Amino acid sequence: MKLAFKSLFAATAVAALMATSATADEPKTGGTLTMAIQQTPRHLNPAVQSGTATGVPGTQLFASLLRYDEGWEPQPYLAESWDVSADGLSVTVNLVKDAVFHDGVPITSDDVAFSIDTVKANHPFKSMFAPVTEVATPDAHTAVIKLSKPHPALLLAMSSQLLAIIPKHIYGDGQDPKTHPANSENVVGSGPFKLVEFKKGEHVILERNENYFMDGLPYLDRIVMRIMPDDSTRAIALESGELQMSGFESSPRNIVRLKKNADLKVSNAGYAAIGPVNWLAFNTRAEKLSDPMVRKAIAYAVDREFINKALNMGTAPTALTGIHPGSPFYDETVEAYDVDLAKANQILDAAGYGKGSDGMRFGLSIDYGWPAMKPYAEYMKPQLKKIGINVTVRSSADFPTWAKRISTWDFDMTMDNVFNWGDPVIGVHRTYSSDNIKEGVIWSNTQQYSNDRVDAIMEEAGATNDPAKRTALYAELQQILADELPLYPIFASPYHTVSSISAVGNASDSIWGTSTPLDRVYLK
Amino acid sequence: MSFGQILAKRVGYGLVLLIAVVVLNFTLITIAPGDVADAIAGDMGGADASVLAEIRQRYGLDQPFMSQLWRYLSSVAVMDLGYSYFYNTPVTELILQRLPATLLLIFSSQILAISVGVLLGVMAARKPNSLVNLCVTFLSLFGFAAPVFWTGILLIILFVSVYPVFPVGGMMNAALIDASFFEQSINIAYHLVLPMVTLASIYLALYSRLTRASMQEVLGSDYIRTARAKGLRENKVFYKHALKNSLGPLVTVAGLQFSAVMSGAVVVEAVFNWPGLGTLALQAILARDTPTIMGILFFSSLVVIVVNIITDLVLRMIDPRIRAE
Amino acid sequence: MTDTAHTTELKDENVVATSPWREMATMFVRNYAAVAGLILLTLIILFAFVGPLIHPVDPFEMVWAPFTTPMQDGFILGTDYLGRDILAAMMVGGQVSMAIGLSAALVSVTIGVSVGAFAGYYGGLIEELLMRFTEFFQVLPTLLFSMVIVALFGASLLTVTLAIGVVSWTAVARVTRSEFLRIREMEYVAASRSGSARDLYLIFNVILPNALPPIVVQANLMVGSAILFEAALSFLGLSDPNVISWGQVIGSNRPYILDAGFAVAIPGFAIFLTVLAISLVGDGLNDALNPKLRQR
Repeated sequence: MKLAFKSLFAATAVAALMATSATADEPKTGGTLTMAIQQTPRHLNPAVQSGTATGVPGTQLFASLLRYDEGWEPQPYLAESWDVSADGLSVTVNLVKDAVFHDGVPITSDDVAFSIDTVKANHPFKSMFAPVTEVATPDAHTAVIKLSKPHPALLLAMSSQLLAIIPKHIYGDGQDPKTHPANSENVVGSGPFKLVEFKKGEHVILERNENYFMDGLPYLDRIVMRIMPDDSTRAIALESGELQMSGFESSPRNIVRLKKNADLKVSNAGYAAIGPVNWLAFNTRAEKLSDPMVRKAIAYAVDREFINKALNMGTAPTALTGIHPGSPFYDETVEAYDVDLAKANQILDAAGYGKGSDGMRFGLSIDYGWPAMKPYAEYMKPQLKKIGINVTVRSSADFPTWAKRISTWDFDMTMDNVFNWGDPVIGVHRTYSSDNIKEGVIWSNTQQYSNDRVDAIMEEAGATNDPAKRTALYAELQQILADELPLYPIFASPYHTVSSISAVGNASDSIWGTSTPLDRVYLK
Repeated sequence: MSFGQILAKRVGYGLVLLIAVVVLNFTLITIAPGDVADAIAGDMGGADASVLAEIRQRYGLDQPFMSQLWRYLSSVAVMDLGYSYFYNTPVTELILQRLPATLLLIFSSQILAISVGVLLGVMAARKPNSLVNLCVTFLSLFGFAAPVFWTGILLIILFVSVYPVFPVGGMMNAALIDASFFEQSINIAYHLVLPMVTLASIYLALYSRLTRASMQEVLGSDYIRTARAKGLRENKVFYKHALKNSLGPLVTVAGLQFSAVMSGAVVVEAVFNWPGLGTLALQAILARDTPTIMGILFFSSLVVIVVNIITDLVLRMIDPRIRAE
Repeated sequence: MTDTAHTTELKDENVVATSPWREMATMFVRNYAAVAGLILLTLIILFAFVGPLIHPVDPFEMVWAPFTTPMQDGFILGTDYLGRDILAAMMVGGQVSMAIGLSAALVSVTIGVSVGAFAGYYGGLIEELLMRFTEFFQVLPTLLFSMVIVALFGASLLTVTLAIGVVSWTAVARVTRSEFLRIREMEYVAASRSGSARDLYLIFNVILPNALPPIVVQANLMVGSAILFEAALSFLGLSDPNVISWGQVIGSNRPYILDAGFAVAIPGFAIFLTVLAISLVGDGLNDALNPKLRQR
């Protein structure tokens, strides 16, 4: 019956195509798109919350100043033009003149200044706007951002969910923006869609903002985002047509399976800016792991090939460094530590960790933060047994427990997935900077790694706008990190956007995956 | 003792039980490693010691245990179950939102289990050597021994993947949010079939076996022998007299099983992504949302107590033997 | 008619005094289903405990390509998502599942028997308090409560066993108490009591042995439901990842049911068979103890 269903679908698609062959590729206005999101967002305001769970619905509700196309080129959004001064210390942004919030109040530079201040004070990614000293508002549609040093990441930080422009007249009422009621209900946003209903754990329903400042957009009448954390459930729903689109699909089995479906477009285009890297993190101040020889031996023992072929089914690109392979700064010439068990054993013998009578040298624990990471953590157990390390897998019943363990350095090794967020300044520096060894903060420098040269490189690379210079600096950075191994990168999460070919047009056209305004998506 | 007095006694006692439950849960959560502040911090992406201290102060976590307990008890007394930081909603509202879905699942599956179970049990009792009897025996064994999530998964594979007849999960197609009540109800019913059947499978087995055993016992009794001797028609003997008298144990068991039914509902909801209290509980546990966890524990204990009281009273009404007490 | 039957019974009892155990055994053996269950259970136990000696594969070892279908490449039950041998996992997992089932049942029975015995023996205020205590635990939502315990205190063999045992003892307590109430009134107990026999001695050496049969039936049920309970907890993700149990295999392979359904169906079937065998045996025990059946 499944086969019949598929061929029926295919036949309908062909018929539809033939019927509309004259306007086959022209966007049509109207319709409701049903898509899936994988986690329940705590609330819908990305200005005070990181994570794509908030970002995917949040970027429909709130507009940012810029947006990026597939070629990493910044495009106008709320900012119709912008200008970076020659010394790099001030950025002038000119706003679209007729943009209004969902309640009709015009969007002005005051709101931009307010938003930047709010994000700076409340968003976990401190590096995004740390160099901003002030935002001047010479007139209602011009904002001048003054910086203490050149800030290469600024433009990226002003796109997607990283800088949601929020209404000052709502959020400036004195309440804490992190817990403001307008974050979940009666959301007053600046984006292409308005909130109809947010039922936690179930769905987010959005409808077209009739006063959207981009004429003719959005094409869709409505978007229904169903919250579906289970991989198999989403796969079945996509195949049956219950869902028309789903972003951030990373389950290798789902990807392989869905790719076989003639009506589904499974594309990994557009996640380069998210830049998700999966690695094995070491607590470099833990007893055995403080010895770089131990870390090197483990690196030689872990078989990236096996992981990517068997566990990831060939869907995930290998990651050799902490910078995402899709980034212009990626350096693939670093030491790869191709699997060599003999060498790993030699290193450990030479370093003085002899094997006991049971063949084991010592024991280490490994954690993982959420179920998707479990197979990789479990893999380490039999694999490291081969070099005499007895691995105990520790499970955490919930994400906060794991986060607490890692952030209070109560761990030996852990699998982790950290995003680059476009520019290394935003998502990469935080992992290696000595200043960012912060107890209690997850996704800080939880490895407790400290290297003066690394700090200096990152300081310099974060203060110049010269791409060539930055490339050279980051190359040096990656070489040092590959030698010192505070963590061992393994693969880049294979995020894909799955969409129905016959039903959906323009499914992905940005570098941020589906955490981007879907105003150009249309139903065929 | 009059009915009213019995009711009052039961209710009073139930309240005491409830308070004990709340105290136990609160104590447990307090002595467990980690607290709400860690969870909130983890969710925010991490926080250093000063922010943690601030959060603890805001939520009153730095107060001595007894005062925290007293505060919680007094808020529960007015049905204020606290605030879920994870969902950003008061817990009471969250529970009331999810409650109808779970109730729908539980009651529909119980009605299915009871009606089909009694039917099968009666048929089996009537014809002791028939195929039906064998079916009932086999069914009851399967119902008890098969893990409910296994049954659910098998049903999904069969009726969603291999033969796509039913939807894969959820309660209603969200795109129907503006549709008519009728349309929505049909859609919900469509989504309800598989979870309902899964949850019913355990109890169907139990009830059919129970009815059969109970009927057999009653059929062998003097009372029935007398009725037959009086010349009453077999059907009348069977249904009016035997069945009525065998319902007692069924009601008792159905009532006592309620706690188990809720456990089963949690698992079934997890398998089918049914948006009820079970999935809420699971999500809350995975997110360490302690106010919600405590709220759900409190609420389900409350429901069990109420059902026990009702079962007790219904039993008194239908079983004359107890009335004599 | 009833009188004659009564007299006949009395006479029989005066002539032959068999222990309740022997009576039970005799009844049991006559029940084919129960015997079949016992045989099945024995086979399963052999599979789990003797199997690894014949098939010494480490269930944690990645031996082949992931998701090899059963009967392919020499792997009778195939491999799981990490390429680990499912047959080995079934054997070792069986040991763990049954061990947890048994231990949790033991915890339940220990608590339940203690509570029920003291309540039934002492009566009065002690009984009242203990029964209220029992009712309290009856009211707790079992699965939810154990989920919370495991989530709060971490998922290890110990916490899982305790979490299951702590919520399941009430049925045992009730059965124990009613047995104690019944036996307490019997002559031989009253006789011992009038002597200087100490209470504890009476409870554990005199009454309890005679109260055991229904308790044993209940305990048997407990093992079955403890196995199911552990499977449910593992399915929901609350299990020790360093220990392989049947429920754990189901839980870990759950994301892959669409493509490798066998990895979930096989352990589910194993649980089903085991619990089936246990409940057939339990049914047999129960029938053997049922006084009405004994009359026939």
